Amino acid sequence: MTTRTLVVIGHGMTGHRLVEELRSRDPDGTWRVVVLGEERHPAYDRVRLSSALDDKTPAELSLVKPALLEDALVELHTSTRAVGIDRAQRTVALEDGGSIPYDALVLATGSVPFVPPVPGRELPGVCVYRTLDDLDAIRGAAGRTTTGVVIGGGLLGLEAANGLRLLGLSPHVVEMAPRLMPVQVDEGGGRVLDRLVTGLGVTTHLGVATSRIEAGEDGRVARLVFADGTAIETGLVVFSAGVRPQDSLAGPAELPRGERGGFLVDDHCRTEDPHVWAIGECAAVEGRCYGLVAPGYRMAEAVVSQLLGQGPSRFPGADMSTKLKLMGVDVASFGDAHAQTPGALEFVRESAGGEVYAKLVLDSQGDSLLGGILAGDAAAYPRLRSLLGRELPDSAEALLASV
Amino acid sequence: MTTYSTAPILVIGNGPAAHQVLDRLRHFGCEDPVTVLGAEDTPAYHRALLTSALDGSLPTEAMELPPPPGDTTIRTGVCAVRIDRVRRRVHTADGDVFPYARLILATGATPILPALPGLRTPDGSPAAGVAVLRTLADCTRLTAPAAREARTPVTILGAGSLGVEAAFALALKNRPVTLVHPRPWPMDHLLDAAAGALVRDRLTAAGVELVAGSPATAYTPASAGAPGTLHLADGTTLPADTLLLCTGVLPETGLARAAGLAVRTGVLVDDGMRTDDPLIHAVGDCAEHRGNRGGSLASGWAQAEALARYLAHGARGVAPARRVLRPRIAGPGLVVLGMPGAAPCDETITLNDPANGRYARLELTGEHITAGVLLGFDRAIATTTELYVHDAPVPRDRLSFLMGRPPRLPGAGSEEITPETVVCLCNNVTHQDLTRAWHAGAQGLAELASATRATTGCGGCARQVESLCASLASTTAATTGS
Repeated sequence: MTTRTLVVIGHGMTGHRLVEELRSRDPDGTWRVVVLGEERHPAYDRVRLSSALDDKTPAELSLVKPALLEDALVELHTSTRAVGIDRAQRTVALEDGGSIPYDALVLATGSVPFVPPVPGRELPGVCVYRTLDDLDAIRGAAGRTTTGVVIGGGLLGLEAANGLRLLGLSPHVVEMAPRLMPVQVDEGGGRVLDRLVTGLGVTTHLGVATSRIEAGEDGRVARLVFADGTAIETGLVVFSAGVRPQDSLAGPAELPRGERGGFLVDDHCRTEDPHVWAIGECAAVEGRCYGLVAPGYRMAEAVVSQLLGQGPSRFPGADMSTKLKLMGVDVASFGDAHAQTPGALEFVRESAGGEVYAKLVLDSQGDSLLGGILAGDAAAYPRLRSLLGRELPDSAEALLASV
Repeated sequence: MTTYSTAPILVIGNGPAAHQVLDRLRHFGCEDPVTVLGAEDTPAYHRALLTSALDGSLPTEAMELPPPPGDTTIRTGVCAVRIDRVRRRVHTADGDVFPYARLILATGATPILPALPGLRTPDGSPAAGVAVLRTLADCTRLTAPAAREARTPVTILGAGSLGVEAAFALALKNRPVTLVHPRPWPMDHLLDAAAGALVRDRLTAAGVELVAGSPATAYTPASAGAPGTLHLADGTTLPADTLLLCTGVLPETGLARAAGLAVRTGVLVDDGMRTDDPLIHAVGDCAEHRGNRGGSLASGWAQAEALARYLAHGARGVAPARRVLRPRIAGPGLVVLGMPGAAPCDETITLNDPANGRYARLELTGEHITAGVLLGFDRAIATTTELYVHDAPVPRDRLSFLMGRPPRLPGAGSEEITPETVVCLCNNVTHQDLTRAWHAGAQGLAELASATRATTGCGGCARQVESLCASLASTTAATTGS
């Protein structure tokens, strides 16, 4: 039996999951894996990135078990950038001029932070929040200032604000939408979230646009100016205004992109080339990109099944259900959280002096659960999530009280 | 000038509050003769029903309040002009004099004419075309046959509950109505944005043109062929030959003030509804009790009750009014309980049914409703109002309660855990995966985590995995007898 070579470009959470999954399901070693990671660090838990600003070392965040490094069938290259793909020859070109042949290629290049074209964004002291190296830059700038501004009040923006808090800075969060986490929560949930994070020392600026970032006499960031002319004095600005799929290899490899970027793949994560797949945030599955880790894992599993010719090989799709704890504040969003289903009812309970918000989205009869939003207390999430699409087995109050 | 013999109790004002005082006074056994001076020519009527007279759904006779019981003399068309506290007499416009042993002021309130250029003539009276809606006479003017037949348009300023009711009533009579409100949605002092939007939709459906969000800045009355015009801050101009002001009321305190009684916004009264002259009381819309200047039927009722108790038994104390407002609007009902948003509460419950234009929001403290708004959930409107008025606890299953259904009992739906039920959502680990791993030796949280990856994502399922461990352990122990 010949051993074939799988090359994985990208050693983030999804790429790593693919490697682990393949190695655990391929005891006969039909595949040898070459992983090309652009970062200095092997795969780490990016979801918990802010804890690296607290007490965790990069090693503690690492997802790589020692056994994997000793695995003869796994070859891990860090600090290695792929710059081209020759699909006819089936080789990946590396930045250092090297070339690696493959039988199968999986693109798991992830995302890059989107930095809107705000004047001053190139100044020293302006950072993004995505990698462990980004944290080093943030840490460096944090030493020169007492206030830090995060542009973007989404999930990652709040994580970044928490990071600044852990560094001892007074964090500000600037969000263009009128509420925090506009994708996951509604107005009521946003209100609770705002109240709770404000209570933790984060200053929020909602529904405002950034006009420019100005430098001080030392040439570094000194202040951030809003569209209305008001300003925050700060030595650190962190952009967390969303991400874009890292699909820069699509051009040289002549692979099609989705409408909003990302390697265009079918529901099996296949590109138009039968030897090339894409998974995770860089994949536009039937045109749609998924910015959460759980769908990425499902994609990794589906591709492994195809490589091994066993198990379910289709990406089953994923809703954007999320549960997270931001600075100790529970937030969850699941199913049809924004009540888009025609005729849907919304049942909302606000309690604990406005510090707990719960919304259930129900069908027009108020019988079955279509989705919901929880903020301040998400203990009921696992049970509610498992009840999606089903008739409520108990009163809404009892379900919300359940843990 | 006629000086009448001294009646033990003299009442100035013949509105619903005065009427209620008399009714409760007799109820509590006070049989003293009472004289009532009413400025209007008509017998006492139920003012809250005025808009029903406006749309013709009630004949004016049906609005009349029954004559008060006992020894009561009602003098209509008599306007009190001065209180002589030293001689204990009330003088009228006709020059008559009514002595009193006890005087009750129930002078009500008068519509506010906002300080808007053009609303008044130089002598201070309302300009031509400016109308108010407080009395039956106002109502008769607005619905004069000529105006009705010509379908004269009416522009209403102020979308509080009176303005909204008047708009529906006039629209029902096929009058073109424009409703102007300075705030973004109607009845904003009582309704939140969601309920306000539904009332706005109803107004639009009834043919009312709602112009909301910009305050009025001036009025130009109609003159010599030029139409009357209302000017708004945002530059809009609206034709307004008839401008109906629904901009609130002020307690009518002129007599009290001239008599030297303490007046703030209303005539100040204590828990016995007494002014600072112990022989003079005030009740209803003209009174201000502990900072509350009534303005609602419920508070007027509570005050009337308190005053009657005081006069009959010397008892003091005003029960807090359980205020229920049911504005008459087209379509399914609207009820406002208490003052939503005015006081902190433990919990709020909202049920929103945008597809059917229904909305309910309750403010709860403990199990009790402290305020609420319901629009269109007819059964819940009835039951909720009942619970609110009696301060009774709401059932635990609020969703079913608001939907007007019996409570949902545990086990009503299907929630049996199947082997395929996903426990760890991040890692797609099913109940079956965990059970298998457990039987294969991974009999703790950490072991299961390393065997199946469950709990290693967001960690949200840790509790479930723990309880699964416990239940597997106890099942196994039971079957093996160990």
